[in-house]
Amino acid sequence: MNGKRLPIHRLIRKILLPFLAAPALALAAAIPGEPAPAFSEVDAEGKSHSLEDYKGQWLVIEWFNKDCPYVRKHYGSGNMQALQKKYTGQDVNWLTVISSAKGKQGYLEPAQAMAVAASHSLNTSAPFLLDSDGSMGRAYGAKTTPHMFVINPEGKVVYAGAIDDNDSANPAVIPQSNNYVSAALDASLSGQAVAVASSRAYGCSVKY
Amino acid sequence: MSIFRCGVKAILFAAFVILAHPAGAQSTASGDHVRVRWLAPDTFAQGNAETIGFYFEVDPGWHVYWRNAGDSGAAPRFDIRAVDAEVGDIQWPFPVRLPIEHLTNLGYEGDVTYLFALTPKAGAERVALDVNLEWLVCKVDCIPGFGTMQLSRPVAQQANWNGTDRALRDRFQARVPGPQEQSPWRAVEMVEAGAGQLRLAIEPTGEGGAVVPQVFPVDGELLAAAEPRVESAQGRVDYTFTRVPGAPLPTAADFVISDGQRAWLLDAIPVGAAAQQWRALWLLLLAAFAGGMILNLMPCVFPVLSIKLFGLMGPGATTSSRVGEGLRYSAGVLATFAGLGAMLLLLRAGGAAVGWGFQLQSAPVVLLLILLFWLMGLSFSGVFEFGHRLMNMAGRSHGGSFATGVLAVFVAAPCTGPFMGAALGAAVTLPAAQAMAIFLALGAGLAAPFLLLCASPAVLNRLPAPGPWMEKLRQLLAFPLYATVIWLLWVLGRILGESGWLIGALLLLAVVFALWLGKSFGRGARVAAYMLVAVATAAVFGALRTPPPVAPQSADRGWHSYDKLAIEQALAQNRPVFIDYTAAWCITCQVNKKLVLESASVMDLFRANDVLLIRADWTTQDAEITAALSALGRNSVPVYAWYAPGAREPELLPQILQERMIAALFTESAKFQYNEDEKP
Repeated sequence: MNGKRLPIHRLIRKILLPFLAAPALALAAAIPGEPAPAFSEVDAEGKSHSLEDYKGQWLVIEWFNKDCPYVRKHYGSGNMQALQKKYTGQDVNWLTVISSAKGKQGYLEPAQAMAVAASHSLNTSAPFLLDSDGSMGRAYGAKTTPHMFVINPEGKVVYAGAIDDNDSANPAVIPQSNNYVSAALDASLSGQAVAVASSRAYGCSVKY
Repeated sequence: MSIFRCGVKAILFAAFVILAHPAGAQSTASGDHVRVRWLAPDTFAQGNAETIGFYFEVDPGWHVYWRNAGDSGAAPRFDIRAVDAEVGDIQWPFPVRLPIEHLTNLGYEGDVTYLFALTPKAGAERVALDVNLEWLVCKVDCIPGFGTMQLSRPVAQQANWNGTDRALRDRFQARVPGPQEQSPWRAVEMVEAGAGQLRLAIEPTGEGGAVVPQVFPVDGELLAAAEPRVESAQGRVDYTFTRVPGAPLPTAADFVISDGQRAWLLDAIPVGAAAQQWRALWLLLLAAFAGGMILNLMPCVFPVLSIKLFGLMGPGATTSSRVGEGLRYSAGVLATFAGLGAMLLLLRAGGAAVGWGFQLQSAPVVLLLILLFWLMGLSFSGVFEFGHRLMNMAGRSHGGSFATGVLAVFVAAPCTGPFMGAALGAAVTLPAAQAMAIFLALGAGLAAPFLLLCASPAVLNRLPAPGPWMEKLRQLLAFPLYATVIWLLWVLGRILGESGWLIGALLLLAVVFALWLGKSFGRGARVAAYMLVAVATAAVFGALRTPPPVAPQSADRGWHSYDKLAIEQALAQNRPVFIDYTAAWCITCQVNKKLVLESASVMDLFRANDVLLIRADWTTQDAEITAALSALGRNSVPVYAWYAPGAREPELLPQILQERMIAALFTESAKFQYNEDEKP
């Protein structure tokens, strides 16, 4: 029997080792309550940003396409910039990402992106992150512009979804809309649970 | 701002009064790619509800949306103010799925009418509506549209329609979902199906047509719009939807179900009654048990068990000793299943992506099995006296039967048979206790026939009496074992590359040589023989550490290796895709491959229909393929996934394929295509 037991021990070790080394299976989406997917992207100024850089800090990630009517709804009305200003003022980091592929609607070269950032009075922590290969967008499961994510200092997603509860393209509805992002930030910054942690993101499809 | 807007409105209104409409009201709205007009009668009938609507004429290739627009987009909005009339909610004709790149929207191809009921108030002579509209029209880019429309109509004895408009209204009204009671399908249950998925099961209320209906989730906050995975069996159809990440599990959900002509609302389907889940588990356990029983007949298990059984038929054996053996054997089987199951669950908890059959993805295990089968084959042939003695011993000693049980499980792993796939797939997604129950049910199934034979002298007596024929049969049974050795060597070759064959064959040679040494010379030679085997084994296992070569197989006779991007691209182009999830160590897979998938007629069919053929080879551990399998609710091979043209979710084919099943795919997809073209 001893002779038999040895190979079984060895066998288990031989099986276990390769699997423990296997990378953990990661789902391609940012899911509330789960760790945020890693990313590493270069902004329009050529500076690189990764999830690691924002460890221990609050982070909002926003998907952007300058030609999307829903992005225009929130930028034309000044709603998005006001949010950016309010929360970056409270030490929340804010990254705005363009995942449009080259040749698709909304794609911007770095110089153009700088110009658009200026013309849109962007109030974010960095000029646009340029994700033209779509790797960050796919990792987060970003479907629409705008698609919003809030990440806490522990690196977990606390909110994923639409900016608010009104999917009209008309900026006139903004004052009556319930803004999910600011609700999530206000609640979690004051240590409370987020009431709505997920919603159907509305807007234009991300042009991967 | 508002003064300005009022001013603009006033000017526009004045302009319309003067220019556009003699009646002073605006009866149409339009924007880029969209024109909207009323479908309404010239007069309404007193006190009678009349269904009227907004007729959207949309340019070809552009879309407007359903109430749940899906992954992007937005449903149109109608802000209706009525004078002297009651208006009902918007009635939405059932949509189609509109795949846009990696997203799915729910909307309409071509024109559509959004309907609602209008009832004139008692005594009203005229009804009037003032509507603010907003819509979104998309091709790839999206353009929002805004407009205002007015309607003013007299109320008369009866409704008076323009014939064409009424026909148009009727056409779309027929597509508005009817009540659940009239639906030819009813919801059987809705349960959580693994992480982030929800499964709705329906069955026909009556005869049930041949059509598999489309199901659309009404709430986009809860379920993704992407086509659910569809599995149908005996009239029951299961739709597995992906949940919106992070959305809390609701207590109930609404769906619209459509046969392509009409539609019905399945409202407030409750999620996951516990009793139903238990029933599902109970069914899975039964399937696992049946699958385990069938395993006994598989070529890898059958010889081992037959010989064991003969050992128990010897003259010295009493019924009680046989029952003891049977129980020990069962304990061996169950303990091994429990051990493997626990390991699988532990690895799963650790985040590793593994599936059933994983023990055969490791070269050392395969090599051990080769050695084991080789020694058993030699001993069956009578070459190997020691083995003979070992076998006799195995027939009597306690450890022997237990070891046979362990062995049976290990050699059974490559033979995923019927019933096993679903049970094992479920085991991976279920909570640990239930998953373990499924593993044990498989073990119980595997052990049951042997235990039954041991425990029942009546059955055992029916077997032919022991005699010299047993010797001949044992020699005969050596040959399936040799065949297994050849096959496992091939598997080793697939894992390690060319050198696999050589390494394995050299070890076998060393073993045979050592046997001859030990048999032919004295005690010293026997020691030398043991040492030779030890050195050879050590050398060979050492050689296994060489990293497996990366073998990029781009295309093997029309089959491409697994490439997620290529699959997504093909799906985006509405090209059909067939994925063969397979492994060299899976016998069932190899049989299907040789007899069906690579037969000339099937390959011709695939070529004629421009099917992208993908071979997802799981011979060695591959996290991406494991993930793809688990997305299909499986974690064993074979799995055959068929994406019909335009389908976003696969249909899963049975584990034992036949040519006519493949042929049926193309006749069905042709039919489907025809229905698609029929749309107005």
